[in-house]
Amino acid sequence: MLNQNLVRGLFLAAVALFFGLGALRYPIGNLSRTGPGLFPLLVSGFLLVLAIATLVKSRLVQAVPLEFSVAKIALIMFGLCGFVLISQHVSMLLAIVFMVFIVSYAGTAPSWKRNLAISAVLAVIAYGFQRFLGLNLKLI
Amino acid sequence: MDILHNLAFGFEHALTLQNLFYCALGCTIGTMVGLLPGLGPLATISLLLPLTYSIPTSSALIMLAGIYYGAQYGDSVSAITMKIPHAASIVACIDGYAMTLKGQTGLALFTAGVSSFIGGTVAIVVLAALAPSLGEVALLFGPADYCALMLLGFICVSVVTTGSVINGLAMCLIGVLLGQIGTDLETGTPRFTFGAQFLVDGVSLVSVALGCFGIAEITKNLDEKSERTPFNGKIHLIPTWPEFKRIWPSALRGSVAGSILGILPGGGPTIAQFAAYAIDKKVSKYRHEIGTGSIEGVAGQAAADEAAARTSFIPLMSIGIPENAVMALMMAAFIIKGIQPGPNMIAKHPDLFWGLVASMWIGNCFLLIINVPLVRIWLSVFKIPYSVLFPSILFFCCIGTFSVNNNLEDIYVTAAFGFLGYVMMRLALDPAPLMLGFILGPMLEENFRRAMLLSRGSFTVFVTRPISATLLGVILVLFIAQLVLMLRARGASRAGGPVAASERDTIVASPESARN
Repeated sequence: MLNQNLVRGLFLAAVALFFGLGALRYPIGNLSRTGPGLFPLLVSGFLLVLAIATLVKSRLVQAVPLEFSVAKIALIMFGLCGFVLISQHVSMLLAIVFMVFIVSYAGTAPSWKRNLAISAVLAVIAYGFQRFLGLNLKLI
Repeated sequence: MDILHNLAFGFEHALTLQNLFYCALGCTIGTMVGLLPGLGPLATISLLLPLTYSIPTSSALIMLAGIYYGAQYGDSVSAITMKIPHAASIVACIDGYAMTLKGQTGLALFTAGVSSFIGGTVAIVVLAALAPSLGEVALLFGPADYCALMLLGFICVSVVTTGSVINGLAMCLIGVLLGQIGTDLETGTPRFTFGAQFLVDGVSLVSVALGCFGIAEITKNLDEKSERTPFNGKIHLIPTWPEFKRIWPSALRGSVAGSILGILPGGGPTIAQFAAYAIDKKVSKYRHEIGTGSIEGVAGQAAADEAAARTSFIPLMSIGIPENAVMALMMAAFIIKGIQPGPNMIAKHPDLFWGLVASMWIGNCFLLIINVPLVRIWLSVFKIPYSVLFPSILFFCCIGTFSVNNNLEDIYVTAAFGFLGYVMMRLALDPAPLMLGFILGPMLEENFRRAMLLSRGSFTVFVTRPISATLLGVILVLFIAQLVLMLRARGASRAGGPVAASERDTIVASPESARN
């Protein structure tokens, strides 16, 4: 089981290094004439210090197990990405049905009747947005 | 007299049919959201922000403000009837739910509704009196002072929302770094864009907000699998005269505490409720009953909650610095509408400022009607199963993202932030400070660079200017206080055996973390 505190420290360090190393690619300048890289470098430096403090702390305190359910977030991501692709290449109405059916598996007891009813209501709402709020939705 | 004149001017604007409609709409949506499990004011304002693009400026801001304080009202209803602890109603769960168990649900709801009304009214007077004069003080602020104020805001929000300075500050810094993505305004250099055109303008605020607060919240709620039992008890709303007499002293105490705590950096409704509850436990005539379902236990915190929600607009509108994540989103709404909150806002847009202040009182009246006589209707909202709700919320997240640029591919960015938000939640990192950092990041950078330019690269400017030096002194005191508390907690845990890290992290009682 992964230690939540340790993973948190590693996550913060990864973000700090990503932005810190990225900032080095831009002119740094000096303190009186700062370049575009200086400020993100300073902030990343502070973040790295906090990440190191978190990592050190994780060694000193009792481990907390990290709970992470990949299936649900993966289903939701798949539903959202599918929504975009189907809306772009087919139609948004079909995309709504696809998203509702896919994400319903992240919930409890998915039912196709209920999913169809939700899809129908959302399709009506989407039509309302297109018709009355002027949103450029490609429904069909 | 000036205040009365200004308020009359504000009511002139707020009482138009259009503004009344949007105020009522905001209050209604806010109340509904406050009642629903898993959606807070942050997620709702994020969801509805894109839809306000086509609404006139003052109406849009009136509606968004209505959503915010409406959600505070709605929160207390769910806390009292079903002990559902939302971000802003943890204290209401204690005595409010205890009153429900004693069969006094109606009295508790009436107390919460009337106290919130009193709290809101007191706060509006404070807002109208204080905001213009604070705006004049803000004109004394230089770039170094603004930097110090923003840093103080980061520290306070970190302590209050997450309970751990390290975690909260880290999230603020991640937010600041995300705000760096896009074109550097001083030199025109694209930063962290990796050649992607859609990142040249930076990451969309709506994508960050909907990802971190909409999608991530949904996934977290689905993980919890908790089933809610709808409230089916009887509600008798009208109290007796002796009961009514017990409401107002506590409500007034709570209003004062909430009004003060709402103005302070990092303050807001949650901390105000705890403070009001603590004050009532010390000074109330019925303090021995508090905790067992007493009127005072509901009245004080409800008034403080509502008062703080309103006075937290003061720093935003008079200094231009939001003090918490909800206000940061409100600031984004102001900027989207072409209004720069700050010392000049009241002078430049008096109709907007006084209209918004007046609309808050009108909203107060709407909320009293919505939440007291019509409360039975709202309780039926709980009968909507979450399996129906969450696909709909995801759909609104998609539409909200799309409507910003009419670009479907922005939904990928929102989804990515949803994933990031979920990872952060699982790592016990609250995304609220991230939002504040993201919105204040560009402003912090601009003021830092300007301060450095004016001081010819010397950091002494931060300690030689009185305002900046004072604010940095407050930060130092806060750090020392945190360190002392941490060492004490360490000492206590050594004496009492091993303590889980998460417990040790929680230096200050962290009410908002309860929702994560």
